Amino acid sequence: MRKTMKKAAALVLGASMAVGMIGVIPAAAEESEIDISEHVDLTMYLIGDRTPDFDEVYGKINEILEEKLNCSLSVEFLSWGEHDTKYSLLFSGGEEFDLIFTASSWCHYEQTVALGGFEPLSEEFIQTYAPDIWEVVPEMAWDQARIDGEIYMVPNYQNEFGQDVMAIRGDLMEKYGFEEITNWDELMEFYKACAADGQYASQGGPWYQYFQTYGLSTTGGAPKAGELILYHAQDAEDLEFTYLLDWDGFTDYCKQMKELADLGAWSPDILNSSDERQTGLLTGRTAGMTWNLGTCRTYAKQANAENEDWNVVIVDPVTEMPKKVNSYINNGVAINAMSENKERAMMVLNEFYTNPEVYDLAMLGIEGKHWEAVGDDQYKVIDESNYGVSSNCNWGWNNCTIQRTEYIENRTPLDDQYDAIMEEWNANVKPQHPYDSFNFDSTNVSTQFAAVEAALGSYYDPLVNGLVDDVDASVAALKDALESAGIRDIIEEMEAQAAEHVAATQE
Amino acid sequence: MRNTLGRVVFKMKNGKVKKFFKKLYRYRIFLLMLAPAIIYTLIFSYYPMTGIVLAFKKYTYKGGIWGSAWNGFENFKFFFQSGQAWTVTRNTVLYNIMFIIVGTFTQVAVAVFLTEISNSRFRKLTQSMMFLPYFISWVIVGVMAFNIFSSDYGFMNRIITFFGGEKITFYTKPQYWPFIILFFNIWKGVGYGSVMYLAAIMGIDTSVYEAAAIDGANVFQRIFRVTIPMIMPTVIILFLMSVGGIFRGNFDMFYNLVGNNGLLFNYTDVIDTLTMRALISSNNFGMASAIGLFQSVLCFITVLIANKLVSLYDKDYTLF
Repeated sequence: MRKTMKKAAALVLGASMAVGMIGVIPAAAEESEIDISEHVDLTMYLIGDRTPDFDEVYGKINEILEEKLNCSLSVEFLSWGEHDTKYSLLFSGGEEFDLIFTASSWCHYEQTVALGGFEPLSEEFIQTYAPDIWEVVPEMAWDQARIDGEIYMVPNYQNEFGQDVMAIRGDLMEKYGFEEITNWDELMEFYKACAADGQYASQGGPWYQYFQTYGLSTTGGAPKAGELILYHAQDAEDLEFTYLLDWDGFTDYCKQMKELADLGAWSPDILNSSDERQTGLLTGRTAGMTWNLGTCRTYAKQANAENEDWNVVIVDPVTEMPKKVNSYINNGVAINAMSENKERAMMVLNEFYTNPEVYDLAMLGIEGKHWEAVGDDQYKVIDESNYGVSSNCNWGWNNCTIQRTEYIENRTPLDDQYDAIMEEWNANVKPQHPYDSFNFDSTNVSTQFAAVEAALGSYYDPLVNGLVDDVDASVAALKDALESAGIRDIIEEMEAQAAEHVAATQE
Repeated sequence: MRNTLGRVVFKMKNGKVKKFFKKLYRYRIFLLMLAPAIIYTLIFSYYPMTGIVLAFKKYTYKGGIWGSAWNGFENFKFFFQSGQAWTVTRNTVLYNIMFIIVGTFTQVAVAVFLTEISNSRFRKLTQSMMFLPYFISWVIVGVMAFNIFSSDYGFMNRIITFFGGEKITFYTKPQYWPFIILFFNIWKGVGYGSVMYLAAIMGIDTSVYEAAAIDGANVFQRIFRVTIPMIMPTVIILFLMSVGGIFRGNFDMFYNLVGNNGLLFNYTDVIDTLTMRALISSNNFGMASAIGLFQSVLCFITVLIANKLVSLYDKDYTLF
């Protein structure tokens, strides 16, 4: 690391002029070449809730920051329920803060950039104030973060699979005569078997599993969180977008769902239910739940611990498809454009991202209290009730090069299954598609975009969950509504931007 | 005090700066008493109004309210282009008319009943009980409604199946919802709303009742010939004030009772919920302001019309 710092020193000399910093110590000084003599207080916004031990853990982190960077960091939280509404208010209200968690599509990255909320980070700026991050984060991640050529966030670095799986009760599978569920047809049979038995199968239609079976994926920045316009993620040559209402597969899906809903494969109340995704499984109201692999394992374990005879297993209904690695901008940290201490904020981020001591604290908590080290790269949980492992919004600086993995003492079949699936997926990563890193910017068609979002309301969710009376009529009505709302303008704009994106990435 | 102020204003028109300051000094105590109200209105009603400009701007965080670029009527377009403008405007107005009519009727009725209860302890208890729902947040009411109407374990369906009936899936049947929403709105507001009328009734000179009693009026005559006519001015003022909000949907109520259930939208979607759904993902401040302005202008026109109509009935009852 010191080597890198020295390397950076040359750049610092130049950059320091631009940012109005003085007193650069020549490269001979070992610790820091950037002037940090003035003590500053920084604020960072994270998503979620403050856990009981959070302040204690960040107190330890602050000790390190004080010593190394002469600054302190206080953390504010936007809870899961309110971040949709409050995130933008932080910027419009002129709140004073420096760092903030962000993510493409699910955590306001594109919208905030469009409104000028984040500071653009030049390569020089990153190299100067976060040289270690620059070293670690791959070029592709920076490219994904670019909007109109500028980088506005530091993306996280880890291969996270975007694929959801299902945790399903093994006792019910056995009862209905299922050995495994590996494809769509088996899944449908299982749903029907559940319905016939008077058992709800899930909390709604398995919509993502359906289009993934066709090799399709959501498009970043498209309406309805990317679901309305899909692309052929599995075929890098295919640059056509699939607009749902032009795709017969959508109508087919809706009809299948109507059949299932009428049979009683899920509750007719699901559109109003405020249940969390795991509630159905844990309470026994549904036979399974859908979420990402890690979360499914967690809740499957919990369900098994609470109900000895359930034998919840993990199934992947789209087994045959190669898996998509989430883009690196699915988690990240940005700097507020109004921040008065952008340089120090970037240096702090550098510590979080690459200093193993800080990294372990933020991810695992206090060693000896929350976790203990097993070797150099593993950890064992002691007590995560007051500071959950990797659940304190530390994802913005995920860094797989220094992240410890969990050492599991009492392995269950679920852990073996998890490892087996992980291995399979890692061996079967889908080839990169140019649109994997594409993010639609709706600024030019904001009127049409808002109109489309509004017009979707009456039909989309009921269709996807099979709750309409007449599928054909509803699909036709939705199609008409979206046409007059201006969906064609959006598609046209999207195709133009996508072509530009492809041209830019192929340079 | 009203008259004194009127005189101040009148004298101002006569010019004479010196005289004006003299008056200012003479009525300084009155003016001082008025000051908090004026300051409050300026800060919380007039100053925020300058934010209306946002409706005509392409807002960016950097530019803020004043520095962002103008973009004409662009922000209003999405609402009409969504194809839902007519439905939600209709719903908003119809719901509000229903709330105003049924609400006023029940509130007046409750106020009259309460005053007719002679046992004061029972009256206080009843009033408190009716007042209580006002303090329950709509989020909680939404959860309560779900537990009453859900088809799996809802209270209603338990009763229906107990008596051998078929389950009703309320959350897929929009036709029930206007009644459900009306019920919760009345239930939640009746205790609070009746306080105004209660105060008005208390203000009625008891000698009027005594005179009525001597003339041999029975309970009904006392209510319909004395109480109701005497509180009519209050009823009309409150009516005019609620007409001022006729194009605003109570977002808390609709969102918490209906949520994102598209099946019910035809009967339950109001301007505010539609706007929220359309803009929540893009955080478009300009468009949200545009809808706010749209509602305000319509409300303003409605108030003017309603006020005019009231003045045709009796000039003394009007707001202005």
